[in-house]
Amino acid sequence: MSTPPGRSPSRDASPAIGTSPDRTAASTASASPSGAGAGAPTTPDPPTGAGSPATARPSAAASPTGPPPGTAAVPPGAPPEGTAPSGPAPVSPRAPSGTSRAAGTAGATPLAAGSRPAPPAAGGAAVTAVFVRLKLSLLRNGLRQSAGRRAVWIISLVMALLFAALHLLGLIALRGNDHAEALVLSLTAVLTVGWAVMPLFFASGDETLDPTRLVMLPLRPGRLALSLLTASLVGVGPLFTLVLAAGSVVAVAHGPAAAVVGVVAAALVVLVCVALSRAVAAANVRLLTSRRGRDLALLSGLFIAVGAQFVSLAVQRLSAPGGLRTLEPAADVLRWLPPASAPAAVRSANEGAYGAAAVQLALAGAALALLVWWWQRSLTGLMTSPDGSTLQAATAPGRERSREGSGLARLLPAGRTGTVMERTLRYGWRDPKAKTGWASALGIGLLLPVVYTLQGNGGPYVACWAAGLLGIQMYNQFGQDGSAFWMVAQTISSRRDAYLELRGRALALALVAVPYVVLVVVISLALLGDWGAFPEALGVSLALLGAMLATGALASAHFPYSIPQDSGFKNAAPGQAGLAWISMLGGLAVAAVLCSPLLALTVWLHLSGGHDWLWLLLPLGVGHGWAMTLLGLRLAAPRTASRLPEILTAVAKG
Amino acid sequence: MTTGEDTPEGHRAAAPETGAAAPPAVSVRGLWKRFGEQVAVDGVDLDVPAGRFIGLVGPNGAGKTTTLAMVTGLLRPDAGRVLVGGHDVWADPAAVKARIGVLPEGLRLFERLSGRELLAYTGRLRGLPGDEVDERATQLLDVLGLADARHKLVIDYSTGMRKKIGLAAALLHNPQVLFLDEPFEGVDPVSAQTIRGVLERYTGSGATVVFSSHVMELVESLCDWVAVMATGRIRAHGPLAEVRGDAPSLQDAFLELVGASGREPGQSLDWLGGGAR
Repeated sequence: MSTPPGRSPSRDASPAIGTSPDRTAASTASASPSGAGAGAPTTPDPPTGAGSPATARPSAAASPTGPPPGTAAVPPGAPPEGTAPSGPAPVSPRAPSGTSRAAGTAGATPLAAGSRPAPPAAGGAAVTAVFVRLKLSLLRNGLRQSAGRRAVWIISLVMALLFAALHLLGLIALRGNDHAEALVLSLTAVLTVGWAVMPLFFASGDETLDPTRLVMLPLRPGRLALSLLTASLVGVGPLFTLVLAAGSVVAVAHGPAAAVVGVVAAALVVLVCVALSRAVAAANVRLLTSRRGRDLALLSGLFIAVGAQFVSLAVQRLSAPGGLRTLEPAADVLRWLPPASAPAAVRSANEGAYGAAAVQLALAGAALALLVWWWQRSLTGLMTSPDGSTLQAATAPGRERSREGSGLARLLPAGRTGTVMERTLRYGWRDPKAKTGWASALGIGLLLPVVYTLQGNGGPYVACWAAGLLGIQMYNQFGQDGSAFWMVAQTISSRRDAYLELRGRALALALVAVPYVVLVVVISLALLGDWGAFPEALGVSLALLGAMLATGALASAHFPYSIPQDSGFKNAAPGQAGLAWISMLGGLAVAAVLCSPLLALTVWLHLSGGHDWLWLLLPLGVGHGWAMTLLGLRLAAPRTASRLPEILTAVAKG
Repeated sequence: MTTGEDTPEGHRAAAPETGAAAPPAVSVRGLWKRFGEQVAVDGVDLDVPAGRFIGLVGPNGAGKTTTLAMVTGLLRPDAGRVLVGGHDVWADPAAVKARIGVLPEGLRLFERLSGRELLAYTGRLRGLPGDEVDERATQLLDVLGLADARHKLVIDYSTGMRKKIGLAAALLHNPQVLFLDEPFEGVDPVSAQTIRGVLERYTGSGATVVFSSHVMELVESLCDWVAVMATGRIRAHGPLAEVRGDAPSLQDAFLELVGASGREPGQSLDWLGGGAR
């Protein structure tokens, strides 16, 4: 319970003060003037119903232990900001100051607060339990919406657990290996990076507890962050991480002391990962909702993606036979870098270096505290400042004016095709979701081939990455419209209309993707110095693009899902993330199968020495891609036309 | 079907008196929709006369939005038929979609387009010639008072402006029947008056407007034909005066019809108010 008092100075200094945190502070302080209870926000907390007033109030002061690790770890982070009020004793001077100030600002409440008999002060555990229950309910309700979604979710759960179990077995098998620790530390680091990147690009399993929806609850940010953190631990991702962390500990722990340290270490790793993910998400949702910060957030996302790419490349290289030894230098650094320092503490404990083990654990704990602090700051910002769209509203028009009558419309074909293309391209620029998708596909589509080529892992076909990533943009076309799809649905009255609509979208995508794929082929071949492979590389890449457009159109018609627009870091509505992933991965697999004749021909020409005929692959690839796209659009159109209401229902959720 | 000869409101005088002879603008038979356990629309039969200002009223959760969504082809009914101008909404969507305009509630527009771009996009999707679309869009934006905001993204519009641009998009192809779901919800009086003026001019030329609302005063002053809906069924329908009957106002008649009159909170909220908590 020492957390909230430690927080209060920073909030006192912040300008946006008249909101719920202060009301809480006021009522808490006046209800329990001793100041000892200041750490337990009163939380009338409508949805709780759990904390019965009579029992909860005395316990508020008496049971100061909330969720243990975060609470215990926070005070070290508090002193720097505690300088402002200049009080020697950390707790008592601040509570009264909060009271007096709140009595001034929140003038409406003093009478009621003074006469209030027994504030139902639900304990931290009660609030946390409510959030965990809320999380479970949201998950359950998301799954309840359709049997298909439930099946998809269960499949993804089973797959994740299988994957984790395989890793676990591998880690256990490594027990006793000299380089097991190096691998464990690297694995922890990769896992951490993964958690940091995930909320930026993919629907995490935990966007259900959107903190901005909890603004009206009288909860202090510190309490809120801890409760949300606990609730965040419920899910497939944390379970997966826990399995890996446990396996890591098993791989390196020898002896009882190490085992004890290992249990703490595994918990710390999971907590740090989840807190990091939440903190990054919270920081970025703020950036993404403020339109000015959008480009910056976009860049930070790409930056992290680039970093993750290098990590994955490094892992790939190090997993070669005998490659584990090369991990040792990295492990020397990681050993003191949280959260990998937590599993490193296990080895220190093995060796009897308990001091080092304690320091390493403390480092991980401090990292956790820092992340929770950062997250909480972001939450406070999110909850007390207007979102960016409000600020931006007044300044928008000037820029658009200059765009009127741009040449774009004149260059595009007339009729529905051009109209749809124009709208799609405009959205690619103006809609942050679409823009992020485009920027990621374009950025990573170039980055991967270049990195692979420079690393020596590339071949002539690396440009397929660009084709595949851009092709993914074709997936869930109608979900990208969200509930605005009704405007499209109202104007589709025949298969022909549906075909034109899909074709317009595919053309808009191809307008960017085809030149870009050519560019990436040229760049990667220039780096490779193998111009002879140009026809086959371009042919195969364009064929893949065509296959992706075809499967994308079909997936759009058959597996639409909604993309929540109100948040920067959600890519699928709760319970639909599995559907999104499976339709995308399934589409990729089908696209690969569709390209297999061309690939077989390529292999055959190479093996049979028909190098003189390799140029044929370019026209064949273009033709193959073209034909597949046409076929995919033709097949998707009737399905789209006959299922308009169902598609609208699917994409308008969330 | 009751197409009353009496025209209660003065402004209806301009409307052509063809109501009794003309086929219904919208004909609904046995419309039924269930969401899970919840029956949202429970067998709706309704004939909506052409050339009128029709109000569909009912409390929250009565099934108004679901009904309108099914009538306009945005939601597939579990059972039932809907004919618009004699064409089946599901069997002949091309004929129906060309004849109707829709302003749904709770569904977004393409908000990253400016007002003008949105109209240009909608009109062209509807297959209208580009020049015609641009001309109509300019006039609509002028009449609805959106001319100054035409280059602003719709996402930056206020609620009233959104309703107006949605109305403009729904009117662009000059539909015969216009379906508006809560067109005045969250709209300021000035915008409401503008919308009202446009709609009155539109029905004056013989077109039909069907709109849902739960603001009885508004319906009473605007509509000449109402259908009262509650718990998924039509409780009463007909000319305003008929539905109102002897009740002093439509509000009273409505409360009577949905069985909500005389329901007082009584003693159950005795803790509410008075300062002390």
